[in-house]
Amino acid sequence: MRALNASVGLVSAVLLGFSAAAQAQTAEVLHWWTSGGESAALDKVRAAYKAKGGTWKDTPVAGGDNARAAVVNRMIGGKPPTVFMFSIGKQLEELAEQGLVGDVQDAATTGKWDAVLPPLIAKVAKYDGKYIAAPLNIHGENWMFYNTAALEKAKVQVPKTWPEFITAAKALKAAGITPIALGGEPWQERILFNSVLLGVGGRDHYLKVYGQLDDAAMRSATMLEVFKTVAALREFVDEGSPGRKWNIAANMVMKGTAAFQFMGDWAKGELVAAGIEPGTAVGCALAPAKDKGYIMTIDAFAFSNAKDKASREAQKLMANIIMDPAVQIAFNKSKGSIPVRTDVPSDSFDVCARLGMETLKDPKAQLASSGLFGLPSAVSGAIDDAISQFWNTRTMTPEQGRALFIKTIASAK
Amino acid sequence: MMNAQQQPSAVTMPRAESSPAGRRSRLSSSTAARIALIPAALITVVCFYVFVGWTILISMTRSRLLPVYNFVGLDQYKRLFANDRWWTAMENLAIHGTLFILGCTVIGYALAIMLDRITRGESLFRTVFMLPLSMSFIVTGAIWQWLLNPTLGIQDAVRDLGWTDFVFNWIVRPDRAIYTLAIAGIWQQVGLCMALFLAGLRGIDPNIWKATRVDGIPTWRVYTNIITPMLRPVFFSVFVLLSALVLKSFDLVVALTGGGPGFSSDLPARFVVDHILNRQELGLGAAGAFMMLCTIAAVVSPYVYYELRTPRKEA
Repeated sequence: MRALNASVGLVSAVLLGFSAAAQAQTAEVLHWWTSGGESAALDKVRAAYKAKGGTWKDTPVAGGDNARAAVVNRMIGGKPPTVFMFSIGKQLEELAEQGLVGDVQDAATTGKWDAVLPPLIAKVAKYDGKYIAAPLNIHGENWMFYNTAALEKAKVQVPKTWPEFITAAKALKAAGITPIALGGEPWQERILFNSVLLGVGGRDHYLKVYGQLDDAAMRSATMLEVFKTVAALREFVDEGSPGRKWNIAANMVMKGTAAFQFMGDWAKGELVAAGIEPGTAVGCALAPAKDKGYIMTIDAFAFSNAKDKASREAQKLMANIIMDPAVQIAFNKSKGSIPVRTDVPSDSFDVCARLGMETLKDPKAQLASSGLFGLPSAVSGAIDDAISQFWNTRTMTPEQGRALFIKTIASAK
Repeated sequence: MMNAQQQPSAVTMPRAESSPAGRRSRLSSSTAARIALIPAALITVVCFYVFVGWTILISMTRSRLLPVYNFVGLDQYKRLFANDRWWTAMENLAIHGTLFILGCTVIGYALAIMLDRITRGESLFRTVFMLPLSMSFIVTGAIWQWLLNPTLGIQDAVRDLGWTDFVFNWIVRPDRAIYTLAIAGIWQQVGLCMALFLAGLRGIDPNIWKATRVDGIPTWRVYTNIITPMLRPVFFSVFVLLSALVLKSFDLVVALTGGGPGFSSDLPARFVVDHILNRQELGLGAAGAFMMLCTIAAVVSPYVYYELRTPRKEA
């Protein structure tokens, strides 16, 4: 009897030990959030994950492109990180097609993700009917940040249309203020371009160009108008722009040496990190536009196709943490974005975020950046090339720019 | 060979057995050498020829994110040749390559002559010129990015001194950015060239100098007509060394201009990496990589030809 007791004790001790080991869920998390504001925001998720007993092994890789490349390389090499930040879209789909991505459908079913996520996001986060990514936030790309003091100095109002903006920019330039703080990297130039595309062309035009790569839309007079407006903006950027990082450009607006920045709302994270309340010294508005639209980008974490139970558990815990309403609020307030959950109260957010959440209530305003429309990265890369070449070649006319845009997309398809 | 033949006699063995044992050890020593070379040969074959073959194979497929083997013939090459960015990169390689190699050689040689002639402070100057070499291209790129930035660096500094019209904004001008790459590259590598030339100059027989002095030949003529032709092998080594650096230059352009403004200072290596890793255009990237190999072959084969021919002539 004693022997039996002893063996039961031993077995349960072993089991306890085993389950304790399983409890210590170690997740290697690969991400590209390395700037001050970004890493402070990620800390909220990290803290929540640790509070639930998980072990977080941090693998930061600076730069989204580099980080995505690192993930793909490690997958091909057979040692993928447990959880990795990734953009939802064609690229993740291709990884899933090759069986390299795991699903978190269990967590999604229990957490009723289908009911709380906006339909567009729920659709793109799934592959083969199962969630392969846990969306963390919605970023708006078509924001315009401005230094209120600089605008007052030049006696201009926050512009509502692009012609108004050009008038305001002339006044600012005359007052010795750089009208647009632009980071001269292709993706930043694309953000400015897309704001003009939506603002001058309108929602339907935007959807035709990026959603369907519609040839007629790209050849239209509207498109020429878009290129004309972009060309007119070239003179409002300072000399130091090429190669500048976005957070340096944000800093110029904070200091008041520049008046406007067209950037995603992640720039708010930099404001918060610098101790500025969004909507005060630095104000925010959606970029000038014909009709309301919110160009969404979604930050999401995806999961590698892990076979061992411990990793699966770690992934499940991570999925639950990411979609936890409290984490969503804490994280998004710090990151400058808005929650993906539609059932989260907006009252504790800043003015800009509330404006974003308000805008998104209209389903027609739910637009997306090119990746979410399912454009292959080769095509979106080619779009970047064309925009960047047009922006930086001052001698290129709007007609030539439009032709280049069409030609580049056609060759990348 | 001499050693292998001498070995049996050194081993204390009965005389009767010495001859077969000697043959056996000679055999085994040559076999051993062959066995020892197998790993190196395998690595060369696999890491070079197999991968080159694989890259060519991939360049004929429609591969995007991952390698897939659905062959499309030369489509990727057609796309590559229709790509403006690729031709900009190739043109930049030519401009950067010429300037970088010429600049390093001319300036490096001039510095070496200067150091050879001065009697004081040589080690100080040598250290100063060699210092940039101790930095990686990434650090060099970062330093020059700040120096060349019109709102932070040289232009701003000179304007602050009072020359408010001073303009030095090459790094932000699409038509000039490629020259800044050459400036930063030369700054870093010139020390190495100087050291090589200096070693060459020091190897010149002092009697030649004495003889020229007796004949009353002016110094500059000695350098142009006598010393420089004598240093031909050194010039050649420098050329080969710099060519290799140019063809694989990737980190400098990434750190200095990021290929910008737009893609005006892009180089083929960056084009290939960008398309393979970031754009999921594995096939197109592989086609670019193979074209790079062809470029390298075109530049290097005269050298290989020269190398293979000369020793035979001497022997």
